[in-house]
Amino acid sequence: MVRTYRPQSFQEALEIKKGAPVITIAGGTDLMVKRRRSTGLSPYFEVPAMFIAHLGEIKGVRFDGGNIRIGAACSFAVLLQNEATPPILKTAVSRIASPAVRNMGTIGGNICNASPAGDTLPVLYARDASVVLKSIDQERILKISEFITAPGETVLREDELLKEIVIPEKPFDVNFYRKVGTGMTNTISKITFTGIAEILNGMVKDIRITFGAVAPTVVRSRVNEERLIGHSGKEIEKMIPEISSLYSALINPIDDQRSNAFYRRSVSLRLLGHFLRALPGC
Amino acid sequence: MKEKVDRSINRIDAPEKTGGYAEYIADMKFEGMLYAKTLRSEKPRAVIKSIDIPLLPEGCYVVDKNDIPGKNRVKMLLDDQPFFAEDIVNYIGEPILLVVGPDREQVAQVLSNIRVLYEEMEPVFTIVDAVKCDKASIYGEDNCFSGYEIIRGDPDRAFREAAEAIEGEYRTGLQEHIYLEPQGVIGVYENERVTVYGSMQCPYYIKTALVQGFGWDEERIRVVQTTTGGAFGGKEEYTSIIAGHAAFAAVKTGRPVRLIFDRAEDIICTTKRHPSIIKIKTALDKNRKITAMEVEITLDGGAYAGLSPVVLQRAMFAATGVYNIPNIKVKGRVFATNNVPSGAMRGFGGPQAFFAIEMHMQSLAESISRDPLDFKMENMLSKGDLTVTGGVLRYEVKLPQMIDLVEKMSGYRRKYEAFINDRGEVPKGIGLSIFYHGCAFTGSGEKEKIRARVKLKKRKDGKVLILVASVEMGQGSSTTLRKIVARAMDLPVEDVIYENPDTDIVPDSGPTVASRTVMIVGFLLKKAAERLKAGGEKAADFKVTEACEGPAELEVTEEYEEPGYIKWGHEKFEGDAYPTYSWGVNVVEVEVDPVTFVIKVNGIWGVYDIGTIIDERIIRGQMEGGIAQGLGYAAFEVMNTDCGNILQPSLADYIIPNSKEFPEMEIRLIDNPYEYGPFGAKGAGELPFIGAAPALASAVQNALKVPIKRLPVTPEYLLKVAEGEK
Repeated sequence: MVRTYRPQSFQEALEIKKGAPVITIAGGTDLMVKRRRSTGLSPYFEVPAMFIAHLGEIKGVRFDGGNIRIGAACSFAVLLQNEATPPILKTAVSRIASPAVRNMGTIGGNICNASPAGDTLPVLYARDASVVLKSIDQERILKISEFITAPGETVLREDELLKEIVIPEKPFDVNFYRKVGTGMTNTISKITFTGIAEILNGMVKDIRITFGAVAPTVVRSRVNEERLIGHSGKEIEKMIPEISSLYSALINPIDDQRSNAFYRRSVSLRLLGHFLRALPGC
Repeated sequence: MKEKVDRSINRIDAPEKTGGYAEYIADMKFEGMLYAKTLRSEKPRAVIKSIDIPLLPEGCYVVDKNDIPGKNRVKMLLDDQPFFAEDIVNYIGEPILLVVGPDREQVAQVLSNIRVLYEEMEPVFTIVDAVKCDKASIYGEDNCFSGYEIIRGDPDRAFREAAEAIEGEYRTGLQEHIYLEPQGVIGVYENERVTVYGSMQCPYYIKTALVQGFGWDEERIRVVQTTTGGAFGGKEEYTSIIAGHAAFAAVKTGRPVRLIFDRAEDIICTTKRHPSIIKIKTALDKNRKITAMEVEITLDGGAYAGLSPVVLQRAMFAATGVYNIPNIKVKGRVFATNNVPSGAMRGFGGPQAFFAIEMHMQSLAESISRDPLDFKMENMLSKGDLTVTGGVLRYEVKLPQMIDLVEKMSGYRRKYEAFINDRGEVPKGIGLSIFYHGCAFTGSGEKEKIRARVKLKKRKDGKVLILVASVEMGQGSSTTLRKIVARAMDLPVEDVIYENPDTDIVPDSGPTVASRTVMIVGFLLKKAAERLKAGGEKAADFKVTEACEGPAELEVTEEYEEPGYIKWGHEKFEGDAYPTYSWGVNVVEVEVDPVTFVIKVNGIWGVYDIGTIIDERIIRGQMEGGIAQGLGYAAFEVMNTDCGNILQPSLADYIIPNSKEFPEMEIRLIDNPYEYGPFGAKGAGELPFIGAAPALASAVQNALKVPIKRLPVTPEYLLKVAEGEK
């Protein structure tokens, strides 16, 4: 038998966290699959489980003084319906699994799961999202790129819970997202690519480029992005070989049961080239 | 009941299945039932040096090779596969023993504490290595389970005299059935008799396997099919193994024993479609007419033979496709490897052969600057022509009309021309495949191996019972067979009863395989129904189940008689390999993402000749389902192994297409009644699968202007092809 907690408030959840080790379940669409055993046997939990996806305090999406704040227990289905959700995040979320999984799965779960193939992550990295981590005693805010350290690993402390995700409100003129997987639905990503850009007077004012599922964590390089800033689409087109080789050095894909390193590397760079060529002025 | 026989009626099994109250094997509970779990080999090839079993808790048992009273071989063609491993294991997942007990947690605990000491042997994983045979042979002296050769005409001379010869090599991969309901059985032992309940296609195969495994009289063995959630060939021969396991365990423990797989276990240890390497060489004369073809087929049979020899035969008999080739040499071999055994799956060797020949004909035509469809049609079989084995096509081949129709539906020719010249940003393509499926058992199987028997009984209340061993597994036979009998007797369908077969009650009408159920079993039922209507014989009272108990008035038994025209020489594979053929033409239109090489299907059209249709909606279901499964085989379903380990043992990684994937399919069925099928019906279940993969691959070839020689056509493969195999 598995011992479980179902706190009535976020505060109570933090108190439980403080008391003893628990495994937090915020939807469980990945966690329950990983911990399943054969038919008729309870899933494996070495410590008690705590459910938090029902907590209303961490389920909303709202604008807040220049930021969009998304509660950690906000399901993918809610994200898709909410007006405050950035459209590019909606695009990414709409390709996650199937309606049943989108009803159960949460953005906080996707982040804390820290899968290299987590589909919200490349968009959150591109949008400079931060995570708010709460414990009974304190609150800290980290960039998502500081929060996730390796496949399945984050800096979340034993007594902390992810409370919300903060995305700076900022309009982008180009919003490009591609998920590459087998089939249209119910598919785990082989590659995801996100490219967003702000264009002013035919010049790139800001640009963000991220790759998912091709390295232990999401690949993003502000240094590479800054090389592109201040250039016109025409100039950028000429820079594609150079920029491609810079990113090729950063991505580190593997052969696995879903694809191979050669495809992942080649298609990542093809997507990059496709995105850069399509920038206005090219 | 005077309306056309093809008018769709509501499927009789639909309410209980859509309503969720159909009873599957996992829903069945027996007093005192124990749970079994299998200890499987973790090595692809090894000698078992010792098995260390911890002290068993009260009520727990181990069941292994020593608990098999008869012969430890699963009865199939070559009898090489043990129920439980003896001294050697030959694939990862091979069953070694069962742990059986009242509590599943406890059973899992015991299982995890058993230690097997292996002495590893050098494994063989590929067809190429099996052919080379430079390690200890797995089967016989040369790893070859079966090898055959067919020669018709004088192919050697035709090649000597040829103006040119064009060659190609085609490869196909593994495919898993992914029936919705995983494999499962329950064994029960009472009153000196064993009963096995389970999800299955072939109750009498299982009975025969148990008779050999126990060494008992047939009267002591009973097999009962439970509502079966899909099979596709996967529950043809495989189920006999686990039926044996549950039955041996039931006898040892004296308690009912349940053995049901979850998805991962099912994918890891059950049979798959045979991977293949097929080489085709075609001789052309100076006018570029085909004078001869040489086809060499090699299949990966996996660790044990199973049905591999017959799968190979069916592939060989389809080797030259729908084409009329004057001189033929077909060589076929199926090899042993240390992979999970390959087995029966929808199409049974046909899909591999038709992929190879259709891609070959397309590439051949394109290489001599001919329009592929024109070139195919010039060489196409028609009535009176000879098959690979020299059988005469006695019935009209309606392929020209079917191609005409599919052309009107799809605009194939116009699009093919447009796409071949198109250099637009997004490559688009259209492909067309032409194919057949030989209906019923291969060679003289129906007459010599099966000799199907069916029985009808009429109760005093006027209701008629169908007694056959042919199962409903989702394909609609419980409705179709009822319709045949009802129509033949002028009864409402509600007055005809069909229940899941129980070998204590039904005669052996043969396995539910080979697209034979409607054509062979249905035809016997129609004949029986006609005799029953005319009077029948007086019957003894009987009891089938509570629901259909009652005094019988009349009964009729009908036994298979081979149509007089069939001539077959099995030694040389000469003559009519099948009683008749179903035919199909399939068109698929695609676009290929220029950045990612992901294929999107934009159109699907199919025209089929399956004789007469018994139920239009059921047939549409079969056609659409077969195409979708075939397109999955073509482009979605990747199954790789690494040192004998299957890398995609879950539906998260082994992706089958779902309803979001394809546009609406446009299907037409043409009427071409067969005199020995019920109301003219021929086989239908496997046919639609066969054409889908070559149609899709041809479309991709049309789009990318590179020859496609491999299934599945993955984006990874297309990238490599496009980049010139870097």
